Amino acid sequence: MISFILEMEGAYDEIISENPFFVELKNEYANLFQHCIAQSWIICVPRIGSLSTRVFTVEDFCAHILVPSDELPESHYSTLTEKQVTVANKVITLEVTKSLPLQSHILFEETFYTEDFIKYKVWCIEYPLEPTTNTGTHLITKEYLTSINDCIDLLWTQAAGRQVLDQIEQSVQLFLKNQPSLPIAIGPLRDSISELYTQCLQYALQNRRLREKSKVCKTVLENIKMAVECYMQQLLFESIFKPICTSCAYEDSHLNKKIRNMCDIQLKDLDIKKELFHAVPKAKQILSKIDTYSTVLEKVLCLKQALNTINKTDSSNNVVLLTADDLLPVFVFLVIKSGLPNWYSQLTYMKEFRFSGVGKGDADESAFLITTLEAVIEHIQSGALSGPPDPESYYYESDLTEDNLNERQRKNSFTESISTSDTNTRDETLEYIFELIKANHTEQVQAILLRNKRHLETIKEHESEILKVSLDKKYQFHNEDYDDNSDSDSDIYEKLCHPLCNCKKCCSKIFKNLLKTSPTVTSRDSHGLTPLHVACIHGKAAIVELLIEMEADIDATDLNECSPMHYAASRGHQNALLLLLHSGANINKTNVDKNTPLHLCVNNGHMNCVKALIYFSEHSRKKLMINATNENGNTPLHLASKWGYEGIARLLIENGAEPSIQNHNNKSSFDFAHNLKILQVLKSVTPNLYEYIHITSSDVTVLNSKPEKLFNTKFQKLKFKENNASKTVKNLKTIERIFKAISYGDVKLACFYMNIDYTNYKNNNSNTTLCHPLCACRSCKKNNESQTDFDVNFPDSNGFTALHYAAKYGLDELCNILILNNANVNCQNKRGQTPLHLAALNNKTVVIEILTNNGANINTIDLSGNTPLHNASEMGNIGASKVLLNKNPDITMLNGSEKSALSIAKEKVHLTIIDLIEKYANKS
Amino acid sequence: MTNTSATTYNFKVVLLGEGCVGKTSLLLRYIEDKFNDKHLTTLQATFLNKKLNINGKRINLSIWDTAGQEKFHALGPIYYRNSNGAILVYDITDEDSFGKVKNWVKELKKMLGSEIVLVIAGNKIDLEHERTVPLEEAESYAKMVGARHFYTSAKMNQGVEDLFLELTREMTEKLEQNAQNEVTRTSRVLVVDDEAPVQSSCCAGSKSN
Repeated sequence: MISFILEMEGAYDEIISENPFFVELKNEYANLFQHCIAQSWIICVPRIGSLSTRVFTVEDFCAHILVPSDELPESHYSTLTEKQVTVANKVITLEVTKSLPLQSHILFEETFYTEDFIKYKVWCIEYPLEPTTNTGTHLITKEYLTSINDCIDLLWTQAAGRQVLDQIEQSVQLFLKNQPSLPIAIGPLRDSISELYTQCLQYALQNRRLREKSKVCKTVLENIKMAVECYMQQLLFESIFKPICTSCAYEDSHLNKKIRNMCDIQLKDLDIKKELFHAVPKAKQILSKIDTYSTVLEKVLCLKQALNTINKTDSSNNVVLLTADDLLPVFVFLVIKSGLPNWYSQLTYMKEFRFSGVGKGDADESAFLITTLEAVIEHIQSGALSGPPDPESYYYESDLTEDNLNERQRKNSFTESISTSDTNTRDETLEYIFELIKANHTEQVQAILLRNKRHLETIKEHESEILKVSLDKKYQFHNEDYDDNSDSDSDIYEKLCHPLCNCKKCCSKIFKNLLKTSPTVTSRDSHGLTPLHVACIHGKAAIVELLIEMEADIDATDLNECSPMHYAASRGHQNALLLLLHSGANINKTNVDKNTPLHLCVNNGHMNCVKALIYFSEHSRKKLMINATNENGNTPLHLASKWGYEGIARLLIENGAEPSIQNHNNKSSFDFAHNLKILQVLKSVTPNLYEYIHITSSDVTVLNSKPEKLFNTKFQKLKFKENNASKTVKNLKTIERIFKAISYGDVKLACFYMNIDYTNYKNNNSNTTLCHPLCACRSCKKNNESQTDFDVNFPDSNGFTALHYAAKYGLDELCNILILNNANVNCQNKRGQTPLHLAALNNKTVVIEILTNNGANINTIDLSGNTPLHNASEMGNIGASKVLLNKNPDITMLNGSEKSALSIAKEKVHLTIIDLIEKYANKS
Repeated sequence: MTNTSATTYNFKVVLLGEGCVGKTSLLLRYIEDKFNDKHLTTLQATFLNKKLNINGKRINLSIWDTAGQEKFHALGPIYYRNSNGAILVYDITDEDSFGKVKNWVKELKKMLGSEIVLVIAGNKIDLEHERTVPLEEAESYAKMVGARHFYTSAKMNQGVEDLFLELTREMTEKLEQNAQNEVTRTSRVLVVDDEAPVQSSCCAGSKSN
């Protein structure tokens, strides 16, 4: 009979003192009522609308008054009609003789105090405690909304039709139409949505049924408000969440950096009760779905469910009480591990766009959950976490916890005295060396490692001799073989009874020495970590330098195949990273997940390390694989885009990262960008982006599946032109710079790179020595011709020349300069496009004018058979189409898909262009 | 439908205090009337609701428990903003915890001024013989900062209900006082709109017109 389970505390509410049942008991049966109060009996009040009759008898009341039993006053009661009642888990069970027991949910308990502060309790119950009562007219089918479907259901059924839903939908659409660009700032956005919400609510309450029902019971009104809000949010979500993400981009990326850098955190680091451990994976799974919900209601419920999962039971089914002390750490852990890139945006959305709960202030559970999330994010962001809990414990065995950290730190400061007095026992362990490294005791590390190294060397030296000792006890030691420097070892030999002694005692001494497993630079712990790894983890540059000097293996890998450089990069230790790089560490080394160091420092948001890697590779001619893919097919740019690191994304793109590469889930960096700022970075700075987006899908896959091919071709070229190698390399580098300059629109810089004297042209232009600013007649050309050793027709690996770029970005001035410098106006790139194609695609009318005036073929086709006019009409570039049509193009030409420019325009419904082409056709 | 008898006050109350002073126990004793019991009906003790009806006034208490660990101290403002009342709990056998209460009081006064009703609870009076916080000191301090002081024992169920009842009474009083100074109230609410939503949430039914 329990129709629903209350998931939210206090979801149902009504005013008991207005409930007719209660009112009548109080007024008409005052004696009974007073007696109840005096005896502290519990009064059950069936919720409003659950009783069909409005006439109550004394029996009705007696059946709803519970007298606690003497033995078990908390769970067993009897009614005044002598029926037995049990209460468990907020459900009242009434034993009925003939049929099934009758059950009723306790909706809420209200504690009343009279004027003289006598206390009595009232339970508002779901159904009357009388078997005979036919359940009354149900006003509300479902009191508690849990999903968008419930909301739609409520608005539909309660209003008896679609009209309210339709009205909301219409007003949302109208709203979006009237505001094509929503405000980015949260304040104005919130205000405008709030206005829309009020409007939608008005529509809902204009419905007579809804209005009448909401007057009867407060809960109905609350539910209607909630349902309207949800339905509206569902419709709006796509449009408003991006602006929210954009305005939260800064906070999100900082939060992500913090989270990425402690993603190795363990439950024990956060002092979480062991009993709660087992439920965490499930909770994490639930919580990480929060971004799939579009309404605040569902997002809050997701938080609630995640917490419910934790606090249900422990592994042995004992109820564990979730207290505030556990809640925060568990929640912190869940948020860190959830892998969502936009927690701050999620929080902002929940906090600012929850309208129906506003009247209640902060006094409901949703507010509590949202506040808790806010506190968690604040806690992570404050950096309070990144300090004490020791992420290193994951990497190597260390009993360092937050509790004994202080104690340890004290010890660390004493290490000097310890190490001198207590060397023999402590410095034998690798852990001790690791701790010294962590505490940055360079000299001690050096001393111990050197001594141990020497020790090993002496053992090696005398290996054969010592073995002889074991075989032939009459071995004679030549003490003078050992120089005085090898202190510890020679000490031992000096301690022998006699240099030539071979008594048992002396032999055991020698063997102990042999058995000593002293750590050296090559020692590894159970995770395969060498001292160099540990020095890199902690970013102790001086020790890294020392270890490299001591010939530590620079590319040693641990069990995750991580090299020291991986750790230096992931922890953001630039100095250590640079030391490793300069000592010849492999810059593109991949670990078990196929992550390069670049992946790791991008993932953790360490701009300084990204810079270090890029600049080092630039200067040392070591090719950094900027588009390397890891196990999931993600490039570093994917990661920068996902976590919203704007600066890093820009840096990567400037250095040739390709945003359209798809990972194994067919997601490109564009798909990972969750806010407009990142998207802008991806779009604006990418020189080749345009082509990549508009080429056919098969081209994309070819390009994406072999991103390295680009580099290969470059290298092949290098090899091919061995004789001319130095110049080609130089040109390849310059052309990249030139293209970048062009993409910024910096004509001066581009000219500088091409060794063209820009001022020369500039002055000429201003002096109007040319017949016309755009003139390219021979005399003018000759006047301006200047020699440059740079070949302006030099193509990059995709066959783009400077003129292509200048055309694409519409730099008419540069186009003129290039043409004057003998640039080939009809040169084609790898896809057969001429500069004219690019100008047409990008609607650069002036450039089209210039190119066609300088002999560009108007009917040139690219590899897909498109003429510039095809391109212009496909893009709907009216200006470009007009200019092209003035140049007498052949409009009958068909492209690879047998389509003319006109049919493409028709396909894309570019009306003006259809018109233009048709007019042209008629004219000719 | 808005008449005075049916007005519902929503109050937010935060529990503050050092870890292990018994905040959660106090809360559970009040809501469930249980102490260290396995048969609780709630599974979480972080947010609990209590509906009261004092002399015809409906009051909905939302009680927020907070984490007592020192490292979460900085998150205090996030939790106590918009609160109508705060219960500051200390352990009478632990002088440090009383020091913490003083810190909290200072902080709350600074951040929320006199908007918030403070109640100080000296918990664990069942351990009277181990008391280290002098009775007079605690009471005179409470008087000085204008807070009521209660001795409670969640274990023995002493003083808990009185504590919450008194807090509720004072919060109601404050609210009604504010409502009387209607002019000042509205202007204040207008100014700090973001920080403090209108405190008296009258029956929301008025919106339906």
